[in-house]
Amino acid sequence: MNNNQDTYKKRNILSRFFSIFIYFGKSIYNKFKKFINRFKDGSIGTKLSHIFMGAGNIYHKQYIKGVIFFIIEAGFLALMILSPQVNSTPLGFKSIANFFTLGTEPGSIFLPTDNSMLMLLFGVICFGIIGMFIAVYGSSIKSSYKADLDVKAGKEATSFKEDIQALLDDRFHVAMLTPAIIGIITFTVLPTIFMIFIAFTNFDSLHPAGQVLFDWVGFDNFFAIFNGTGEISVRFGPVLGWTLVWAFFATSTNYIGGIFLALLINKKGIKLKKIWRTIFVLTIALPQFISLLAMRSILAEYGPINSMLINLHLIDDPIKFLATADSAWTARITIIFINIWIGVPYTMLMTSGILMNVPKDLYEAAQIDGATNRQAFRYITVPFILFVTAPFLITSFIGNITSFNVIYLLTGGGPTVPGYIAGETDLLVTWLYKLTIDQSEYNIGSVIAIMTFIITATATLLSYRRSKSYKEEDAFQ
Amino acid sequence: MIKAKQLKAKSYKSSQRTSLTISYIILTILVIVWLYPILWILLNSLRTEYNTGGQLIGIVVSHYFPKQIGFENFRILFAETLFPRWFLNTLFVSSISFIISTMLTLSVAYVMSKLKFKVRKSFLNIAIILGLFPGFMSMIAIYYILKAFQLTQTLWALILVYSAGAGLGFYIAKGFFDIIPNSLLESAKLDGATNSQSFRKIILPLSKPIIIYTALLAFIGPWMDFIFARVIIGEANTDTYTVAVGLYYMMYGEQIDSNVFTIFAAGCIIVAIPIVTLFLSMQKYYVEGVTAGSVK
Amino acid sequence: MKKFMLIAVLGLAVLFGAIGCGSNAPLTIWVGAESVEFYSAKMIEYVEDYNAANEKEFPYEVTVVGVDSSTSAATFLDDTDAGADIFTVPHDNLGKLIAGSSAIAPVMSDSLLNQIENDNPQSFLDVIKGSVDGTQYTFGIPYVAQSLVLYYNTAYVTDEQAETWEGIWEAAITADKYALTLTATDGFNNSFLLLSTEADTHNTSLKLYEGGVQEECYALGDDTIAKLKWGQSFFMDANGAKAPSDSGWEVELSDDISLSTIGGAWHYEAAKSALGDNLGITTLPTFTLTEDSVYGTAVAGTVYKSGTFADTKMFVMKKNSDKADYLEDILLYLSSKGVQEESFEEAANLPAYKNASTEFSAFEEDTLDAKLATAQVEMFAWGLPQPFGYNSKFNTYYYSKGTPDLLLEIIENESGDFSTNQAIIDQLTIIESLWKTGLRPE
Repeated sequence: MNNNQDTYKKRNILSRFFSIFIYFGKSIYNKFKKFINRFKDGSIGTKLSHIFMGAGNIYHKQYIKGVIFFIIEAGFLALMILSPQVNSTPLGFKSIANFFTLGTEPGSIFLPTDNSMLMLLFGVICFGIIGMFIAVYGSSIKSSYKADLDVKAGKEATSFKEDIQALLDDRFHVAMLTPAIIGIITFTVLPTIFMIFIAFTNFDSLHPAGQVLFDWVGFDNFFAIFNGTGEISVRFGPVLGWTLVWAFFATSTNYIGGIFLALLINKKGIKLKKIWRTIFVLTIALPQFISLLAMRSILAEYGPINSMLINLHLIDDPIKFLATADSAWTARITIIFINIWIGVPYTMLMTSGILMNVPKDLYEAAQIDGATNRQAFRYITVPFILFVTAPFLITSFIGNITSFNVIYLLTGGGPTVPGYIAGETDLLVTWLYKLTIDQSEYNIGSVIAIMTFIITATATLLSYRRSKSYKEEDAFQ
Repeated sequence: MIKAKQLKAKSYKSSQRTSLTISYIILTILVIVWLYPILWILLNSLRTEYNTGGQLIGIVVSHYFPKQIGFENFRILFAETLFPRWFLNTLFVSSISFIISTMLTLSVAYVMSKLKFKVRKSFLNIAIILGLFPGFMSMIAIYYILKAFQLTQTLWALILVYSAGAGLGFYIAKGFFDIIPNSLLESAKLDGATNSQSFRKIILPLSKPIIIYTALLAFIGPWMDFIFARVIIGEANTDTYTVAVGLYYMMYGEQIDSNVFTIFAAGCIIVAIPIVTLFLSMQKYYVEGVTAGSVK
Repeated sequence: MKKFMLIAVLGLAVLFGAIGCGSNAPLTIWVGAESVEFYSAKMIEYVEDYNAANEKEFPYEVTVVGVDSSTSAATFLDDTDAGADIFTVPHDNLGKLIAGSSAIAPVMSDSLLNQIENDNPQSFLDVIKGSVDGTQYTFGIPYVAQSLVLYYNTAYVTDEQAETWEGIWEAAITADKYALTLTATDGFNNSFLLLSTEADTHNTSLKLYEGGVQEECYALGDDTIAKLKWGQSFFMDANGAKAPSDSGWEVELSDDISLSTIGGAWHYEAAKSALGDNLGITTLPTFTLTEDSVYGTAVAGTVYKSGTFADTKMFVMKKNSDKADYLEDILLYLSSKGVQEESFEEAANLPAYKNASTEFSAFEEDTLDAKLATAQVEMFAWGLPQPFGYNSKFNTYYYSKGTPDLLLEIIENESGDFSTNQAIIDQLTIIESLWKTGLRPE
């Protein structure tokens, strides 16, 4: 029975996998068919648009639109042909060839070396620009074809003013999303693609960009996780393990602590609620590089906490809490406690907000049924909070996997593991930071980034599929 | 019978009182724990102890309460470092980027929440996934993309980077808009309002908490970021540091003079004052925003 | 979707199209943050002199910027195009800068080459050169020297006691304090045992990339093992030496937790702040091998002088700078004997100039500053210029592959695992392999 279910599941996954391909194939085929049809059926203007973007619009007296399309084509071609240089690396058609070779000129003492890193980056940017240009190219033809249809139907082609009005109403999403999408493509999508590509090169500390050429190496860097005695194969497992342990405890302690604190402050009879709350909120408002530095100094061996404990005769020798701790777990537990200090006020604020929103009628109904305050709390307040905040748990778990400041500023990954860069408290992200920013081992860093991504993405997908908001959205289908 | 009831009520009252007392004790302990580090920074910024050589002791010391206090550290901070410049830089960056980011975030959130169009769901999915990539590697790429725009190592570059990321941070605001009933918009539509008018005249006036929440976070961001800003500004451009970068280098440089801790602390206090004031005065909206948006 | 793509492309095209219309950038010089004012003033003088001598305006505006000199090379390499035309680096960063086809320009003019040859001690001349494509060039122009010295607390340690670790140790036992706190555990600041040499003969069996050859590393000499064993006794004692705590060495000095530290010129202000009038400065102490720590040919009673990396900070020039014609003349001036002497007096920069201690009058003053300078100069006799400039790998292998921690593990012997000679030898074998190849032995 179980077995059957498994194979059923497998088949299900497989068929979904293929259906994605079939879907893509179909949509590309349809697009192509439409493209051909438009060329066949279109007016002379539309036909011309295939070469000179905007020609069709001008033919239909949509001058401004036509000119805009034409300027875009001219700008695009100018960029591609002229290939302007940034740091002596061209950006344009040349960058496509460079993307594959990653540079050919090894340079000499008087001659600059090709900058492989920029060639890779500009290749990615160039593909991005071409991709976007193709999209615009399609839309220019479509726009002209639409004007054809309008004229055929006896209407006039839309004027520029009408187009603008549409942007404020039916096509309002276009107007609103455009600036956001430009920003996201330029500063998130293209850099992310570039970063993924780095994982397939030998761009490391021995191949500094602009001084030594680097090259494509396929999946070698991924194999390095499982083979050899290098940093990545020895330390990947332990770091991943601690990252997950950390994310679990950081999330759960903050969650429980936050709810506890909120209940405490919002308890009937406690006065000056706002002031209590405000004091805790100070930690959210204070930049973390300040508060964490303070924490580190206070907990240091000869810091105020240890001197106080010694003066009270609770201990004889100072306790080493953080980077110099004798045992990894001392440092780890300390970090989790400090993280409570950092994170609990946030959960507390949120829970306070929810407490104010518990539907009053629930309590009234309970009172009529003769429930005591305690019972009302036990059977109404708590379940309500848990129910409402569940999605928050998932987001904060993922947030903690990639949490950087707490570890980086408190221990810098220490206590050290002699002989390796990743220390006992290093998370995947802080290790990644050390490898790339401090050690220039970009390719290995990129592999770790991809691994981190796979973990967080899996967690996200699993949880969103189950969450209420997801089901309401019924996205992903 | 009556007596028993009174007794019960009394014991109930007294048990309630003990429970309140315990709550107050716990709260007080927690407050001490929470304020201890913050107060430590404040005390350090005021510490003006001199050693036998007559030199201001600027290093970290082990005692919690300073033996002498004064404003010497603040004087040095403003007279002998570039801090005032950094402060103005940060104010400039955050004032402009918070306006742009708030507009971007809110418009994306509105569109994602209330309008139905073809690519909506794929955009939602892509946005979820994109946000999960660790950003350190892409910093180099972003640096050179900015360079292609001829913007690197300027404050405008920072503004651009902070604002450009805003398009992805629409979740909380979207959660807030989701709660606003669609019927409001539908009736407006019947009255002939365009989508842009509904956004400006119906949604925005109802969204004060989320507007303030979004704006507050966007405004505070540049004051706290010491990673991205460091890469984009470059170490050599001390004139264009933000406060976070400047203070970071003050404490974490490799071959630096570590006799500046108290001055660093003074800088921290100056940075914290505007942020904390803003935060506390807007607390009400922050709570409403975060509650409405994040628990949907 | 396509409409916003349209605008996206438009925006991108316009912005990318704007590339290449650069303006006339100023001539930029990066110096250590502590001496910006001094070199700014000097450059103003230089430009005035230039204008007077050539009867024309110096063609560029000059900007002097302060950087953290230990990270300036990395900052430069992040974006060489935006980097300074002239910048300062410690000499061990040379390997990084000249890797591959080099990011910096070699010195070509005879006048500057002559000045470098004439003014600098041989040990500096060895480390400012590097080979690119098999040809050796001079890349660095030394102008500041630096080495590690001993900062100690004169309230507990007499000047005489400060000459030997045993003396400081004895004072620590009397006062029940620690004798020494390291400023940091990295391979630079914890190298005093590893680099120590026989006090009489300056002999040591240790080899670190000798002659700039990658394979020329040797850590398994009898004397090295004996020194580490002595180090064990020093570090394992309750009143001996220790690695720094989270509080930092400054706190340990000012709170009288430990009596001395090994530091560079950049620790000077903090050390002064911590100890006030009680600050003493001298060369690094000696130590004498005891019966317990002998090994092989190393015999008891041998006196070793603690070692240090003796560095020069040098100016280097950007490769293919559009202002290349002017840079060497500026450097001729900035590294000249006269400017070095002024820099010493006004910005407390220890001169790289070889006869500075005898020719510069400021050395003779009875100030703490002069003491610091004198101690550093004396340490040069016992110092090894970091041999990492020849190849960027050396620096990475020595500092970043974890060997400093492995060494500290032997010396601290917290686990007790390193109580046998064999355990020490095994660990040193790993260290040697990491130095040579960056990898652990199979």
